[in-house]
This record gives sequence, C-alpha cells and structure tokens, in this order.
Amino acid sequence: MTGTGAATIAIEAWAPEYGAAHEPGELDEARAPVDVGLEVPADQWGPIGPSRASTSGALLSEQVGGGPSGAVAGPVLFVDGVRRVDAWVWITDADGQTHAGIAASYAAGAVLCDGAATVVAAEVTRRVFSPAVTGPIETACGTYLPTPVPSDEVQPLMLALQRRMGDLEARVATAHAQPGRRVVVDGPLRQPVIAGAVGFVKTHHVSYLPPMVRDVVARLGPGERTPLFLIGGSWPRWSWYLKLAGADGHPWAGIVRCELDAAEAVETAAARATEVSAVLPRFASEPHKDPRAPQNLYPIGGLERDLRHRLGDPHLVLRALRRAVART
Amino acid sequence: MDDNRSTDAAAPAPAAELLGETSPVVGRVIGTEDSTPLEFWVGLLPDEVLQLDDVVIVDRVLPGGEIIRISGIVHQVRARHEGTRFDSDVHLVAEGVLPAQVSEAAQVLTTRFEPETFVPPLPGTDARRAMGTSRDQALLFDTMGARLPVGTSRDGCPVFANFEFIDGRRGAHVNISGISGVATKTTYATFLLHAMFNTGVLGTDALNTHVLVFNVKGEDLLHLDRANTLLPDNEHERYRQLGLPVGPFRSVGFWAPPRPGPSGVPDVASRTTDVRSYFWTLEEFCRDSLLPFLFADAEDDRQQYTMVVHNVAHRLQRDAVAVGDGAVRIGDDTVRTFDELCRVVEARVTDDMTMAEWAGRSIGAGTINAFVRRLFGAERHIGRLVRSDITDPAAHRIDPTANQVSVVDLHNLNDRAKRFVVGTTIRRAFDDKERSGQSRPLLFLVLDELNKYAPRTGDSPIKEILLDVAERGRSLGIILIGAQQTASEVERRIVANSAIRVVGRLDPAEADRPEYGFLPPILRRRATILKPGTMIVSQPELPIPLVVQFPFPAWATRAEEVVASVPSPADVFDGLPR
Repeated sequence: MTGTGAATIAIEAWAPEYGAAHEPGELDEARAPVDVGLEVPADQWGPIGPSRASTSGALLSEQVGGGPSGAVAGPVLFVDGVRRVDAWVWITDADGQTHAGIAASYAAGAVLCDGAATVVAAEVTRRVFSPAVTGPIETACGTYLPTPVPSDEVQPLMLALQRRMGDLEARVATAHAQPGRRVVVDGPLRQPVIAGAVGFVKTHHVSYLPPMVRDVVARLGPGERTPLFLIGGSWPRWSWYLKLAGADGHPWAGIVRCELDAAEAVETAAARATEVSAVLPRFASEPHKDPRAPQNLYPIGGLERDLRHRLGDPHLVLRALRRAVART
Repeated sequence: MDDNRSTDAAAPAPAAELLGETSPVVGRVIGTEDSTPLEFWVGLLPDEVLQLDDVVIVDRVLPGGEIIRISGIVHQVRARHEGTRFDSDVHLVAEGVLPAQVSEAAQVLTTRFEPETFVPPLPGTDARRAMGTSRDQALLFDTMGARLPVGTSRDGCPVFANFEFIDGRRGAHVNISGISGVATKTTYATFLLHAMFNTGVLGTDALNTHVLVFNVKGEDLLHLDRANTLLPDNEHERYRQLGLPVGPFRSVGFWAPPRPGPSGVPDVASRTTDVRSYFWTLEEFCRDSLLPFLFADAEDDRQQYTMVVHNVAHRLQRDAVAVGDGAVRIGDDTVRTFDELCRVVEARVTDDMTMAEWAGRSIGAGTINAFVRRLFGAERHIGRLVRSDITDPAAHRIDPTANQVSVVDLHNLNDRAKRFVVGTTIRRAFDDKERSGQSRPLLFLVLDELNKYAPRTGDSPIKEILLDVAERGRSLGIILIGAQQTASEVERRIVANSAIRVVGRLDPAEADRPEYGFLPPILRRRATILKPGTMIVSQPELPIPLVVQFPFPAWATRAEEVVASVPSPADVFDGLPR
C-alpha cells in the first residue's frame, strides 16, 4: 500500500454499450484557440450557480429554474435526429462499374416543452448514398432518393448520411424556432446557425480548457456551470460546461458542454447561458430510464424513440428493399 | 406530422362510402392487437369517444369486391400513454418533460356479419358509430319478428328483444337473476309486462292475455293499478323513446290470504279496497288431491312417509263427499275446517280398523307418526287457506282470467303455505290450459324466489309443476317469468329453458358460476356493479348480452309511491250551497 488513502470507485452512469460520456485517457487538445477570460478573468474562474445574478439580471429574473418537481417555465424546443443504415447496396452503373452504397433512413424532429411535452415535428427521409448514378428505389416502405457521394468508402458514406440528417434537423429547427422559444439542438452547433439556438454536447472528446481552469469542471455542483469560454477559429462559438443534477461519483459525471453562437455579445451570451443552464437540469434523465442518463435529456430520449419508431421496422424495410430491387 | 406514412400498410378501401353509410367515423381498426371475426380493437380518432355498449360498424371488402358489414358492441375501452415505458413516466409527461401520446382504443365484440362471411376487419379500416338503421341492423332489431322494448342503451336509444322468443313461437320464458334490493328484479318483470301490453306485440290477444303475479315481498305489488307519485318528470321522455305510455296497469285483481280467524278478511295492511281473500274449499282440497303440496319433499323417495301422503290423498279424493257448500263428509264426519280434516285423517291412519286402507299396508307406526306430525305442523299455516266456513267460496277462488293482471299476495305466509299456494295455483292454471288445448291467449306467471320453489336439489310437487311449465309451457301457452337471487341454486332445466335471461346486480362469487356462462367475462364483472334500473339482457339471436336501463316504474311498486286517491280540498264546504 503506497497511497495515502483508500481508492474510491465510481460506476459510470452510462450503460456499458454506450461507453462513457468522457472518453477514457487523455482528451485531444483543442486545435482551435480557446479564450477563457472573457466572462470572468481566468484567475477568478469558479462555478456559477443558477441563482447567481449575471451581468444582465433582467433576463435572469424572467426565467424560472425548474426544480426536480417544479414545472418548466417558458417554452423550450428540443431538436434531434436519428439515422439508420437499412441496407448496404451494390450498384453497377451503365459503365459496368460496381460501387458500394448505403440505403439509409433518417429522421429529425422537435419536442416543444411548454407545460406539456409534444412532438411538434417528425420528418422521415430515405436515401440511397452511392457514387454510382441510379434512379430512386421505390419500395413498399417509401422511396429511397439517390444521393451522390464522392467515394464509396465507409467514412464518406456515413459522413454524407450524417450531413443530410443535420440538414433535416436544421430545417426542422428553423421551421419551429420562434421568438421566446429556447431552442436546444442535440449535438454541437452547425452552420448556418439558428439565432439563439444552444448546442447540447453529451460526450467529450476534446479538452478545451487550459489546465489552470480545468479543475473548475470537477468542482461543479448540480445545476452549476463554468464561466463562458470562446472557441475561436474560422467559426467562433461560446461554450460552457454544465453539471446536470443528480450525477455523482467522478469529476466528469453528469457534465455536458453547451454551445452558443459567438455573434452574441458576452453579456447576452452569459445571461442566456445562465438561463439555459437553469432550465436543462429539469430535463435530465435518471439511470433506470435512460442508458445515457443524465446527459440524454428526457425530451430528447422520448423524441429519439418516437423518431426511431417512425423509421419503421428494420426487417420490414430491408425486406421491402430486397423486393423492390428484385422487381427492377 | 402524420404526413409521412411511408412505412404504413396502405389503408383498406373505404367500403362505407360505396354503401352510402352516413354514420360518423370514430376511429380505425388497430393492427397492434389481433383482429378476429369475433373481436377487434378500434383506435379512436382525437376528439372521438366510444363508451361501453356503443355500437360500431366496419366494412371489409373481399378480394372479389363483395362488401362484408361487420357490426359489434363496445365491450371494453382502454386509454394509455404511448412512448412511455415506466409507470413513473406519467409524472414526467404531466410535467411536460417527456413527450408521450395518449391513445384510446375500444374493444368490439361482433354481433353480426352481413352477409355471413366470417372474416376479420382489416387494420386501418374506418370504424363508425352505428346510428339509426345501422344500429338496428347491428343489434338484429331489423330481423325481429316482434320487437319488445326491454330498455334503453346508455346512449338513450331503445333496445328490443324478439318477442317470438318469449311468447313460445321460437322460445319461451324469462329468467331474472340478481341480488335482492339492488337488482330490481320484480320491477323489471313488471316493466316487461307493461311493455308487452302496450306495444302491440300480443296482437289481437292483448285483451285476453293474463298474468298471474305472485307477490313474495312486502305489499310491494299490491299497488300496480296506481300511478307512481315519485316518478321523475324526465322519465316521461324515456317512456316516449321506448314508445310506451306512462301510467299504471289498468286491469289488476288483487288476492290476499285471509286473516287468521273466522272472518275471512284479506290480510293486507296497505290497501283496503279491491282486495279479495283467497282460499281453497275442503272439497277442492280433496277432489284435486292437493295434500302432497303441503309437503315440500313429498316426491322424495327416500322419505317413507311420502307413501302415506299419497295414500291419504287418494283416499280423500275417493271418500270425501261434497255436501254442497264446499265442505265434505268423510264417513260420518262432516268436515268444515282444515283442523277438522287433520283430526279425521289422524283418526283414520291411526285406527287399527282403517289404518291399512288410509296409510297403506305394512306401514310402521313410526312412519305414520312422522306423517301425522308433519300434517299437524302444516295445520297451523294452512288452516286459513283451506276452509269451508265462509259463504260463497267461489268468490274466493283465484281466477287469473278475471283481470289482465292478477296479483296473488304471499308475503304474510310462511314457506310451507307459500309453496302450497304457488303449487296449487299453477297446477290449476296448468290443468285449465291443458284442458282448453289452445296455447292462445297466453298466460304469464311471474314468480320471484324460484330457488325456494324449484331448488336445484331434491324433488317436490311444486318443482315438478314448475318443470312442467318450463318444459311444456311453451306449447301450452304458459310463460314463466321467473326470478331468483342466484341462478346457481335453481333447477338447471328451468333456467336452461328460459330463452331470455336477465341479470341485475350479482354477488361477485355468484357471477363467476357457470350458470352465467352466457355473460362474457367483462360483463360478469360489470354485473357486480350494476346500479338499480340497469339490467343485462341476453337473447338467443344476439351473441352478446345487452346492457339496458329501464325507466322508473310509472306504477306504484311500494305503498309510499301511491297517489292519495282522495284529494282533500282546502275548503270542505266547497261546492255546497251557502
């Protein structure tokens, strides 16, 4: 025994098949420049609680933080998407060249939480991604639109699918974003950005904070956030870490990172960060109800279930594809 | 958001439009529960409601183009959250955190296929709330030869039974089960009579059809000819919906046993006029061999003394000579009262000289004593019912044909006397009918507490005669409207012979017995919570029993409901010259 005290053990809150929110080992260092001194000077960094008055207190007083049992005040729109590869396809084009491709279904939707949680949008699209030129595949489960991709390797195919889903998410978010609605998009922000939308990042692959302020994340209590930091580069964004309620055990348990467009001034951005951080813990899930609790928020989990359901039964879809292809 | 239905199976063809159906669409047949020819589930559209007992129609187009109309009744309705997995998710949904959808679905049990091709309705098919003609067709009202209103459904529409299954043409008899006090069995029986007399189902026989009602509890049925003062005004509308007039029975005769003692005055308290006392003369008693009716177990072969009963009855029939005023002479003894008869019989069966003739050969003294003991046991209760000490005995003979409805009061009698009155009255009516050889006009018998007269175990002359009615009454034109708390305690053949079965509030343990096999499980459970005025009616043509409500009686069923017959004017000198 060489240690000074007994070792402490914490069990990761996420189900094993999902890995961990914080990747084991060292995180990649951020490539973009990060500025941590804009809201609070770097040497004064510390957790910011939901009740702490921010620089623009007027905004704060309007919002009501949802306690564990309190109703959520003010509408929040959660936007998310799901995708699924229905089948791998091999397409031999007119030149006799055979290309790989994927027939995929993806969906994006939105849940509006304004006292009641309602799925206000759910759109399903099916596409076949391949460098080969082909017509649409008509199946009993819907039509797969041909979508050209530059290469038939796995990575570009998946990336194309991911991008299309992102586009659909953006479209849904734009269609349902209204003044007064806080928009929370699952995952990092994308361009073009929707005014006021907050990106909600569950997993941490990159270390943005310099060592001098990094331990603030570990010191966050439930509902507390770090001060804002600016992720620079070609597309600057405000970002902050938030600890959702209920997670405990290890320093990064229950931590999410939020993003906001850097077009906003630091005061406005800070006010919005405080406001959103006060609201989000209300939606945090519990481990027995979600394998990625607490980071996978209830509305997003519910929306994902709904969207996956709308993608249709995978076996049925695969059968429909086979039949459609056999007919042609 | 429902625009994208790419993964859905195509919706079946809208056959209803082809048929010109105008009933409103309330939902679609769901595909997550099995759809079978006998039952299927309907997912309700938003803002649509189906409640229990609603009638639903769906159409199925067969590959050849033929359209099958499937009708049914809502048997169960359920609502649930879709998109949730845990019970506690309801709180998250209520607090607006978790998105979920409320889905409501109704289980439908089918009643009819037109034409008869037993195929299930396809998921996605429009389901309609049947109205008007469609509802009549769904419940087979359109095929009924004679429609007898038996109540209203929950939505206020009339419900009919096919009278052909009551009047003997295709079936006969009504049997009503239910807990006393809550099930309103007798009231429902009187409602059926009221409906029968006032809807023309009896045709030209209506005037000559007679009903014999046995009043077993209180003096409840002794006011059928009087309007019910407690009838709420809104009930008039329900009578109108059923096509029935509001009012008491018009032609009712009341018969009550005489008070103990020599007076012969009817033994009733709540009614003083128009009640006649009834009794049997000793002449009838001997001639018609009524002695066995005194002994409930007279047909039980294990009882030695039953032999004595039959021997004595036979002797009385042979040896008693009518003296003209109802009394009889047996040997040298003139007998005017039941007490005297008992003494004469006792003397005959115990006297060594006559014992062999009256009691039978080689009958032990113990057996004879058992008979005598029972005979004198009966005397106390029967004495006022068998007598010849009152003039004009013919006026005290129950005559079911004197009025449309004859109420025979039994409530003051003990069980032995009740059995005697019921047994002998029905026997007489049965014999008369048999003699006339014509089934029309019909004679209805209304008898509560069937378990007392025709219990499942044992034999008795009363049970015998009731079985006769149940099994042969249909051809003779005697229809039994029987009632009991528990059908499980009544002779199986009597219940089995009843074409129409009615159930009011049942005891939960009773509801699970096989006698109620005609009730689907959910109806059995509903039977345990039925409120007074609600009955479940099963009829042979409809596979599913119907839950009906019947209107509050317009006739008095208790003394408190009687209109004061003499209004008291404010000024007693009103109208007199001053």
